Amino acid sequence: MVEDRLSAAQRNKIRRLSAPRELSPDEEGGELNIVPFLDIVTNVLMFVLATVSVTFTATIDSFPPRAPTGVRAATAPTLGLTVLIVPDGFGVKARGGNVAPGCSGVGPGISVPRKGDGYDYPALRECVTQLKASSPDFSTEQSVTISANPQIPYQVVVSTMDAVRNNPRGEPLFPDVSFGVAR
Amino acid sequence: MQQGRASVVRFKRELRKQLRKRAHDQDVNFLNITAMLDMMTIILVFLLKSMSSSSASLPQSGDLTMPKSVLTTEASQEGVPVLISKSHIVVDDNIVAPVPRDATQGIEGKYKRSGAADLYVVPLANALKGWRERDRQVRLATGKDPNTSEAVIIADASTPYRLLVEVLFTLGQSEFSKFHLMVLQSPTK
Repeated sequence: MVEDRLSAAQRNKIRRLSAPRELSPDEEGGELNIVPFLDIVTNVLMFVLATVSVTFTATIDSFPPRAPTGVRAATAPTLGLTVLIVPDGFGVKARGGNVAPGCSGVGPGISVPRKGDGYDYPALRECVTQLKASSPDFSTEQSVTISANPQIPYQVVVSTMDAVRNNPRGEPLFPDVSFGVAR
Repeated sequence: MQQGRASVVRFKRELRKQLRKRAHDQDVNFLNITAMLDMMTIILVFLLKSMSSSSASLPQSGDLTMPKSVLTTEASQEGVPVLISKSHIVVDDNIVAPVPRDATQGIEGKYKRSGAADLYVVPLANALKGWRERDRQVRLATGKDPNTSEAVIIADASTPYRLLVEVLFTLGQSEFSKFHLMVLQSPTK
């Protein structure tokens, strides 16, 4: 049986009836067009990432300042390390006595003088490492009292704490910091 | 039947075929971006969260530049934040005392308990009192030691030692026994 062919009018009618129905404005609102919003979010994200300079912080734990009391330290052999920051360098006191310049023996003067324009932090680290190693009794001692002249900036105090915290091999020296008040 | 015109049965069959074809075509006429949107939202939330817990939220300006340290440990956020900038002392977002231009002798004497030589800053202690009381209640409720509180010190790198000690001394007198000195990590310093 020969299949009958569609006439032009019938093909037209089929095309017209099968064409997708135009949605009315009410029906079109069924899905929100979020593409522009997505563009904005992407741009904002890129801008934020490009402009924010990420910095990382840390905190150094310390304890309240102690005013000098004049009471002598305990009789047990302790180092009782004190670092005094003055404009000319570091004065280091251990076992109640002032460490002499060059960090050798007991005597008056600046234990670790300034080097050029700045403080000599490597020499201070070397000095406290040497003091800690001077007796096995001091090996477990981790406390240091840091004091400074009134005008010494906070950055110098922080750098001093860094210098006495660990030895060059990364082993702890004096990580427990207390602040002293000059009389 | 007119010449060249198909039967009604054939006409309906052709119409159904066309309708099926058009309905099938409509399924792929848009991109489904919901999954991508979910992913971007998660990334955005993650970035905002991680940035809020870093020092990016700290006010770094000419008035307050934190000192640098070789320390690389995690920053502790526990305690009342005390800011010492070049111009003010701020506790918990409230300005409590001005910092004089030359702060090498600390805060002005009129703000201290007994004159310029004293270390106790009265407005600072008053501001800390309320925070300490609230923290004591929280510590009691959470089973921590209620006798002392902690403070996070965010100070400018040029703060003179005298001013720093006055703030720390006042904190100590206000039953704050542990301080977290906030610094910027700078391993290559």
